[in-house]
Amino acid sequence: MDYIQTTNFIGDWVRGLGLPWGLDRAVNGILGALTIAGVVMAGATLLVWVERKVSALIQSRLGPMRVGPWGILQSVADILKLLVKEILVPNGADRLVYFLAPMLPLTAAFMVLAVIPFGPTLQVANPDLGVPYLIAMGGIGVLGILIGGWASNNKFSLLGSLRSGAQMVSYEISVAVILLFITLVSGTTDLRTLVLTQQGTVLDWWVFKVPGLGLAAFVLYLISSTAELNRAPFDIAEAEQEIAAGYHTEYSGMGFAMFFLAEYGNLIASAGVAATCFLGGFLPPAIGVPAVDRALFAVPGLVWFALKVAALILGYMWFRWTFPRPRVDQLMALEWKFLLPVNLGLLSLGALFTAMGWVLP
Amino acid sequence: MSDAAFALTAFFMVAAALWAVTANNVLHAALGLIAAFFATAVLYLGLRAEFLAVAQVLVYIGGVVVFVVFTILLTSRLGDEILRPSLWRVLLGVLFAGAFFALGALMLSRAGDLLEGAGLAPEEYGSLMAVGNKLLGMGEGGLLLPFEVVSVLLLACVIGAIAVARKPEDDE
Repeated sequence: MDYIQTTNFIGDWVRGLGLPWGLDRAVNGILGALTIAGVVMAGATLLVWVERKVSALIQSRLGPMRVGPWGILQSVADILKLLVKEILVPNGADRLVYFLAPMLPLTAAFMVLAVIPFGPTLQVANPDLGVPYLIAMGGIGVLGILIGGWASNNKFSLLGSLRSGAQMVSYEISVAVILLFITLVSGTTDLRTLVLTQQGTVLDWWVFKVPGLGLAAFVLYLISSTAELNRAPFDIAEAEQEIAAGYHTEYSGMGFAMFFLAEYGNLIASAGVAATCFLGGFLPPAIGVPAVDRALFAVPGLVWFALKVAALILGYMWFRWTFPRPRVDQLMALEWKFLLPVNLGLLSLGALFTAMGWVLP
Repeated sequence: MSDAAFALTAFFMVAAALWAVTANNVLHAALGLIAAFFATAVLYLGLRAEFLAVAQVLVYIGGVVVFVVFTILLTSRLGDEILRPSLWRVLLGVLFAGAFFALGALMLSRAGDLLEGAGLAPEEYGSLMAVGNKLLGMGEGGLLLPFEVVSVLLLACVIGAIAVARKPEDDE
């Protein structure tokens, strides 16, 4: 199965220039970082529109229709409005912390996207410790939400950030345990190698390769990451009908836009992690027939990765508009009394399956 | 890690640590602590101890500081009044910090010969694979037994926390 492309057009061109003092690595790094920034900005803008359209379709409405064809420029207009909006700082707010807070969740989203392999040669960095790194970055986003609510000097914000902190810290444990399961069965923490362990046919993707367990882990990951992303049905952090808008009640203009951008950036990152760990990342859904597979491998890996991420994001949106919302205590009970024990059981079973060799060849 | 990079990181780390202990606002102190922990992680990376660096971010920033911030959020705000420690406490603090510093300096000066030949750790020394094999190894230099003892201790802590936090049965 040697169809995987090994050249990176722009990267190789920069390396071929013969720049002194390792400048080519710096240039490639900066290009990669700018690309990630572009992906998050453009992706978030598009996703806001998609989310409004999906919610409208599920609820038999039209959604935004006025700005551009099918309202596709609606979120561009919204962002222009946010850019020129006055930034209000509430009385008694801690200015330093107030302005620092929105940056942290966005930083966390960028840091996660930097290690996701978008294609066989498209990855900003590939640390050996990819999976522990992903888990470590989760904590930074929580900090931003916690201190943002505190700095706003508003009781709704403080309540929102406490709720959201408790929720994210709890569900992070589940996500970490599931990522550990994947590390255990695949035997690697390096994300590019993790994708390459899924070479072969569709049945070699981790979601199918470990009979039953892979699918269970995938579903549990989707539930836990929805909660970690603070998305409905687990949007206890915002809960419009209870605590206004939660931790970002007092943010306006770009402060709010950065929290919003981080929310969608983290959505892309989370779907990217799921695609990498369970759905074969940039590998095409090969079926084992050489003629078909050659055609599938002719499509660049980036396209397959984007399709998988898009499908996963549509799934997240579907959950959001379909399920009713649990209460705060029900949400915490779900994590600590159901998901965490189940995930720990899954991890033990994964160890058993790996030790006994009950993994599809 | 070049000397310049080390100097920059160390300077940042000391400045952040100073901010953490001198800030009047508790949350600012926590932010200083985060910055200091990050700089420590960078130093670990410079020493090629990648696993230690990731664990530093994971445990200290993602765990310890998040709970420190949680505690700060749960306590009522102190307002803008500045808490001035008494002279007695300041003197005691200076005494202890000075003693600790002296101890460290003494140890480093005695260990001068050891540090002389010390260079970077060999490649792969601090990698996940090496750390894992050492931590869960049963042979020579393996740390499986201490690891298990610590696990039992942590389990006891968790059970203790549940026992303390648990509501009495008839309270429902």
